[in-house]
Amino acid sequence: MRGFGFQAAAVASKPSALDITEIRLFPVREPVSGTRYSLLRVKTRSGLTGWGESAFDPAADLKSLQSAWLGKPAHTYAAIQPAAPFAAALDIALLDIVGKSCNAPIYRVLGGPTRSKVRSFNSQSVIDLPEPLSRNQGKAYQNRILSLVEAVPANRDFVLAGNGRLTPGDAASVAATVERKHPMWFDEPCPHSNLEAVRKISGETVVPLAFGRGIRDAAIFQAMLREGLIDLVRPEVSFFGISGSRRIAALAEPYYVAVAPRHDGGPIATAAAIQLAASIPNFFIQHVPLPAAPEDQAMRREIAAPDLETTRAGFLSLPKTPGLGINVNEAALEKYRAA
Amino acid sequence: MQRRSFLALGSSGLAFAKRRQPAESCECSFFQQAAPVGSDAFADVHSGLKITNLKVFGVSLTPQSDRPYVFVKLETNQGLVGWGEGTLEGKAGAVMACVNDFRDFLIGADPMQVEHIWQSMYVHSFYRAGPVIGSAISGIDQALWDIRGKALGMPVYKLLGGPFDPRGVRGYYHVFAGNREQLAQVRDTAHTLGITCLKSGIPGYYEWIERRPKIDAAIKSIQLQREVLGPDIDIAVDFHAKTSPSVASIIVKEVEPLNLLFIEEPCPPENVQAMAKIARRSTTPIATGERLIASYGCRELIEMSVVDILQTDINHVGGITGLWKVAATANVSSISMAPHACEGPIGGLATIHVDAAMPNFVVQEICGQVKPGANDKIWEEWLGFPAMRMVDGRFPLSEKPGLGFELSEASLAKYPFGGTKPMARVFHEDGSVAEW
Repeated sequence: MRGFGFQAAAVASKPSALDITEIRLFPVREPVSGTRYSLLRVKTRSGLTGWGESAFDPAADLKSLQSAWLGKPAHTYAAIQPAAPFAAALDIALLDIVGKSCNAPIYRVLGGPTRSKVRSFNSQSVIDLPEPLSRNQGKAYQNRILSLVEAVPANRDFVLAGNGRLTPGDAASVAATVERKHPMWFDEPCPHSNLEAVRKISGETVVPLAFGRGIRDAAIFQAMLREGLIDLVRPEVSFFGISGSRRIAALAEPYYVAVAPRHDGGPIATAAAIQLAASIPNFFIQHVPLPAAPEDQAMRREIAAPDLETTRAGFLSLPKTPGLGINVNEAALEKYRAA
Repeated sequence: MQRRSFLALGSSGLAFAKRRQPAESCECSFFQQAAPVGSDAFADVHSGLKITNLKVFGVSLTPQSDRPYVFVKLETNQGLVGWGEGTLEGKAGAVMACVNDFRDFLIGADPMQVEHIWQSMYVHSFYRAGPVIGSAISGIDQALWDIRGKALGMPVYKLLGGPFDPRGVRGYYHVFAGNREQLAQVRDTAHTLGITCLKSGIPGYYEWIERRPKIDAAIKSIQLQREVLGPDIDIAVDFHAKTSPSVASIIVKEVEPLNLLFIEEPCPPENVQAMAKIARRSTTPIATGERLIASYGCRELIEMSVVDILQTDINHVGGITGLWKVAATANVSSISMAPHACEGPIGGLATIHVDAAMPNFVVQEICGQVKPGANDKIWEEWLGFPAMRMVDGRFPLSEKPGLGFELSEASLAKYPFGGTKPMARVFHEDGSVAEW
């Protein structure tokens, strides 16, 4: 990684059309939900503009990112330090620029498309497990969950979301209770940091287990893959960007483990996720975090693209225009600027 | 018995063909030597039999076949010939070229030294063996054993110390039944023929995480097999590595009450620990191995006790020598053998010999069905007997020396090599690559 950084610096000493000349942040806020995310705009000497998105982080130091990257060529996106502020947004924006400079969608730059459309789901398919009334309340809690699951028609898929809140015993017994109902997967049945609990749950049931929310280090995925503890890796696109998520997908491949990238942010992150899905072989499904309020949905359509997050028969469409395939409406960004 | 005079010739017959020396262009000086060490070490113990010619045949039953048979014929200075098979589906041209690449290992060599020649082909291939080299070695190895058996006047299974069961080798046919009625017909025919075991697959293609309707359909299709075939037929189900460990685990656990003989290849072969994840969460026996090469390729599976049954294929694993060693290694860990065979009749007949001499043998595959197919007719036309058709549920054993058949080049000429054709390429609904 370090070595590559030096190479990038050496390349940057000779001016080129793709040199980064401006990096600007546009934090935005959905009017009803209040959800905030940070959009990043990058411009090059040649006049290309790239857009990216990271999770909202008012404390992040944009200046250090600017001093590290102004003057560097946009195609050296692989040298972005994963821990850098707005690393995901920068990665997505630089790939947007590389795609535009090649006149190709990002998935074509990265060797795709590996699929012609992108399977997706939204919150309607998710059963959020209610907080247990007490810890380890056993059968009563299991029956409560079972009744939620049995309310789902047999031909419909569902995801159990534990949100990392259950004790290992409750998580394992809930998984065992619903095992024969074939949930698509059990998301975050326990905190990902508690590997011993994951071992227990994975050993006691065959319900596919997924982790990703809050994971900030690819090595955590590796530790789970190595022991066969995880059935679906869910890298956060607004943290790992396209490149980091793609590397995690490559890591999961030799374990026959699929990828369902996740994010809680806005339409630029969805656009990035769509490009990612069409660039990797082991993508399975994309969650689209559409807010409930029509005003919020209208805002997402307004700042990015009208059809981007619209599903047809359960699939999102692949954009065919260069880069991310969206035109960000800068005037609208001002309207929704986060304080 | 047709013992040949060469055995008495001892060393008088021949000197070894001049062996190729290490390439001089290589600057690694430690390779350079005046003559290969040991190249004349066998002069005093040579059998007198010498390989004089190597022929390789691509045989396409139909011009579009994706799996032309690759047959190997070795000729000797005493008129004995040996046949072997190294069919590798979708890669016929590569195996045929690879067999020819071994020419220098064979011409002039003593065919009785099969173990020695096998080692040389494997070790001196430097990169070890993947499926192409493994299949080429397999074809050559079977031909060497055919010659050995003929030279020693014994069927190969007797040379290997068999048979364990003089009635023959238990086998199974495949079932491609789309519905209950067809399945019932297969059951009735199987009962009439004395067939005790059948194998089917699961419908469709699977992503690494799957949706509920597909998982439910797979489970139902297996349940239907047991329901219609009844309790008296052993049922094996081939997942054909279409499923990931995550998806397979769900299905395998649900079908536990059906008491299947085994589930085959519940996930792809590269990751042994991933397969262990399935095995440790179910009591259903797991079988795998058709894509593995040599005992080296099976060691980790055996060591980790991941599978109950190994299915290495005599046309890829390294021939009779390779298959026998896998069985020997597996036996130590109480793992059984159900060798794969889905290619031509030579490999099929060869595998019966090894099966008959395995203490840990369970059942032998053949990609035929209870009703003979077009290929069965062609095989009979070539060999003069219904090769790989069971009698009372067993493949009969031959009393003839070697692999137990005669084959003429002329009979193969009716089915000329149609070239290498790719195996099936299948895709998911979104166009992404699927396993079949």
